[in-house]
Amino acid sequence: MTTITVDSRGTACPGPITDLIRAYRKAANGDVIELLATDVGIKSDAKAWCDRTKNELVNITESDGTYKTVIKIVSKRENRDT
Amino acid sequence: MKKITVIGAGTGGAIVANSLARNLKKEIQKGQVQVTVFDGAKYHEFQPAYLGVAFRGSNKNAIKRPIRSLLHPDVKLINENCSEINLANEFVVGEKPGQRIDFDYIVIALGCKPDPGQIPGLTEANLDFHTNAQASSIVYDRISKFKGGKIVTGITGLPYKCPPSPNESTFLLHEFFTKKGIRDRVKLSFITPYLRPYPAEPISEVIEPLYKERNIETVLGFNVDSVDPVKKKVFSVEGESVSYDELFLVPPHATPNVIRKAEFSDDEGWVVVDKRDLHVKNYDYAFAIGDNTNLPISKAGVEAHLEGIVVANNISAEIKGISERYLFTGRFQCTMETGFHKATFVVGTYQKPVKKIYPSFANYVKKKIMSKIYWNAELGKCEWLFKLNFGKDYYDVIRDGKTAAPAARAIPN
Ligand SMILES: Cc1cc2nc3c(=O)[nH]c(=O)nc-3n(C[C@H](O)[C@H](O)[C@H](O)COP(=O)(O)OP(=O)(O)OC[C@H]3O[C@@H](n4cnc5c(N)ncnc54)[C@H](O)[C@@H]3O)c2cc1C
Repeated sequence: MTTITVDSRGTACPGPITDLIRAYRKAANGDVIELLATDVGIKSDAKAWCDRTKNELVNITESDGTYKTVIKIVSKRENRDT
Repeated sequence: MKKITVIGAGTGGAIVANSLARNLKKEIQKGQVQVTVFDGAKYHEFQPAYLGVAFRGSNKNAIKRPIRSLLHPDVKLINENCSEINLANEFVVGEKPGQRIDFDYIVIALGCKPDPGQIPGLTEANLDFHTNAQASSIVYDRISKFKGGKIVTGITGLPYKCPPSPNESTFLLHEFFTKKGIRDRVKLSFITPYLRPYPAEPISEVIEPLYKERNIETVLGFNVDSVDPVKKKVFSVEGESVSYDELFLVPPHATPNVIRKAEFSDDEGWVVVDKRDLHVKNYDYAFAIGDNTNLPISKAGVEAHLEGIVVANNISAEIKGISERYLFTGRFQCTMETGFHKATFVVGTYQKPVKKIYPSFANYVKKKIMSKIYWNAELGKCEWLFKLNFGKDYYDVIRDGKTAAPAARAIPN
């Protein structure tokens, strides 16, 4: 299991969700993505993204204007059947 | 003699080289400064016109100019690709091994290109309109022969250049098949890893009704994993699939090999720069502009242009001993044609988020004007217009350690 930290502080929508999607491509099941953002929109975006992709939203915490979103990657299919 | 080397003569590279030649005219004539550009391409293509070639059948040969014709006469062109950029030891190597060219300042403006190999099956299955004019013309041949079925457009991976272009391709396909009278036989489906049709919410709210009204399916939150060209299916990383008869997806993009693995690039190959003065991390004499940087804004020509103006000013000012410096405001601006002679713009800066701009004929005309003046703009002949148009976003100025905006009247977008 690897923790991938992504720093999107200072970027407005769609910066944080873009960084999350990019990190997701590199992640494997079991990895944790820790996304730091200052744009409050990430709270609803991260929740909706986890619902849609069926990954696990561990929590979202706020400290000094930075939102830390922790997501556990669980939904990638392991083997391609193409 | 101060040697300034610019790598890449695309949108950003040409602007920076030409601005340097103008700013440092006297110094170049006195033999105190030399501006050299490397680019192995013979022609510079106007990339936004690929959409017209792909979806309207415009002439692919009318959107290119010889690279030399777009450079100031005082700029020396080495018509070769760079095979090595060594920032620590201040030299570059062209195509001939051992040909080492030293520099005092360097500007890296290599752009980025589609890299379909990142997605298994994509190269075989997909036709794209981001690679070059020739590849775009094949899309038009294909749609001209299309009699009916399902076409899938959209985003496969991030980043890619010109964020609105996948939406634009979908709207232009709708226009094409409507005019041809067979729209009812064509199903259009748009896939995106985002949760809305356009990544930025205000623009998404503007275009979402168009998707509904035009009966274009949207598959949101779809992260492309692979394509099966035999079964004609696109798979997501979670195992969902979308079937197609024709595929015109925008591939993920990557930087050229010469910088992809460089010590000054991040783990994905984007050059790490300061978002305001654009110097490459750890090197105050090296700069990068345009699509090859890691800046957290869209990859588009307007950004490459405005970044080029900032860097050219700052290098010239340092050589001339002037204290005034420019800073990039993060201004981005991309047009999105929505079909039938209407367009919207996606506009913002580091500080100003994207606003709602509704599609209009006036925006479409503005886009056409931008394409008409492109070649002259590259030569620096339209800078007054850019300054007027971008107003306070053109650049920030630092005088005596204080930041101020340039004195120019802003025209609302
Ligand atoms: C379909 C489409 C639509 C677009 N629409 C818009 C729009 O509406 N508005 C907008 O602002 N932008 C738009 N763009 C994006 C815009 O064209 C690019 O962002 C812009 O060209 C970037 O400029 P650049 O200088 O970074 O790179 P480029 O213009 O791509 O130039 C890079 C240069 O580097 C050269 N090069 C590559 N490798 C080497 C090497 N090893 N050594 C030397 N030279 C090398 C290349 O030959 C090229 O000339 C669009 C792009 C596409 C594909």
